Amino acid sequence: MALNFRQKIDLELQRSLASKFSVIEYFWMMFAFRFIYRFKVANVAEIRKRYRQIMNDKNRPVLICSNHLTLIDSVIQALVLNSNFGYLTRPKTFAWNFPERKNYYHKFYWRVLCYFGKCIPVTRGGSPEQSRLARDQMSYVVSKGDVLAIFPEGHRSRSGRVDTQEYSYAPGQFLQQIPGARVLCVYLRGKNHGGFADFPKKGEEIYLEMQVIEPSSELSGMRKARDLSSQIIGKLKEMEEEYFNHAAVGGQ
Amino acid sequence: METQAIYEKVVSLISPYVKKEGALQSVSHSTKILEDLGVNSARLVDIVLAFEDTFDIEVEDEAADSIWTIGDAVKLVGSKLNQ
Repeated sequence: MALNFRQKIDLELQRSLASKFSVIEYFWMMFAFRFIYRFKVANVAEIRKRYRQIMNDKNRPVLICSNHLTLIDSVIQALVLNSNFGYLTRPKTFAWNFPERKNYYHKFYWRVLCYFGKCIPVTRGGSPEQSRLARDQMSYVVSKGDVLAIFPEGHRSRSGRVDTQEYSYAPGQFLQQIPGARVLCVYLRGKNHGGFADFPKKGEEIYLEMQVIEPSSELSGMRKARDLSSQIIGKLKEMEEEYFNHAAVGGQ
Repeated sequence: METQAIYEKVVSLISPYVKKEGALQSVSHSTKILEDLGVNSARLVDIVLAFEDTFDIEVEDEAADSIWTIGDAVKLVGSKLNQ
């Protein structure tokens, strides 16, 4: 099933409007980030430089896969990975997100924020048609050179650690649709984060590390999707272990 | 293989992934696997792969997408076995 004309027009309109209005949204989000939540991030300049370098290879699609701890992980990630000016000059590097519809679409202002923040709502546990539509929307925006960000765990971690048991195979399914894609694994957490939480603590120091991988598999079909997804989850788990090993010796 | 035997095997393969307690007691052909049994959508892939291994069949991605109820699964497995 491919997107119909109306669905493509809707996405094009959202792309166009988001590239203009996300500047204002970014400004207010950054204001909240710095002055209301007072989050701090080490090495922002280095992180943004690396992100720009990764995005410089425009011929190879990028799928950002991150661990998932709070409701605003994707906002924090977007603010840390690039500056407002960076997104303004290269709007394609402002990643699309796929939030759970019931978490964000029940209030009008959330819907507006999500629309201009390049979000496409998805229904967790939805019908096969809904899943297929989401994958087709993802493929469409990737075909336009845009970047996608998804949470391979499929849900916020209940334990505060990467869930290596109940994770989604959607990243693997999607990777099969975009040959040559790179996966940017992002490990993000507040240094004082405990278990299950909606938001990071105020004044939290945010840690972000990223690594590019190119998952591959000799398998086919659903087994390949499972294999590719498990490689992504495995990398995120490895990055988490590095974080805690480093923290144990007083490095964080 | 009889439809009833397929049905019982399908239910037994799904049961390890059922999250809603007691849901298996009232299970039928029209039971929705995700909604009624609380199976995680990602685990639906594991279930389909378990069908492939157990019944020695091959299920295409498109066919797997059509599985919504237990009856859909039984019908799909039955049709593959009869091919």
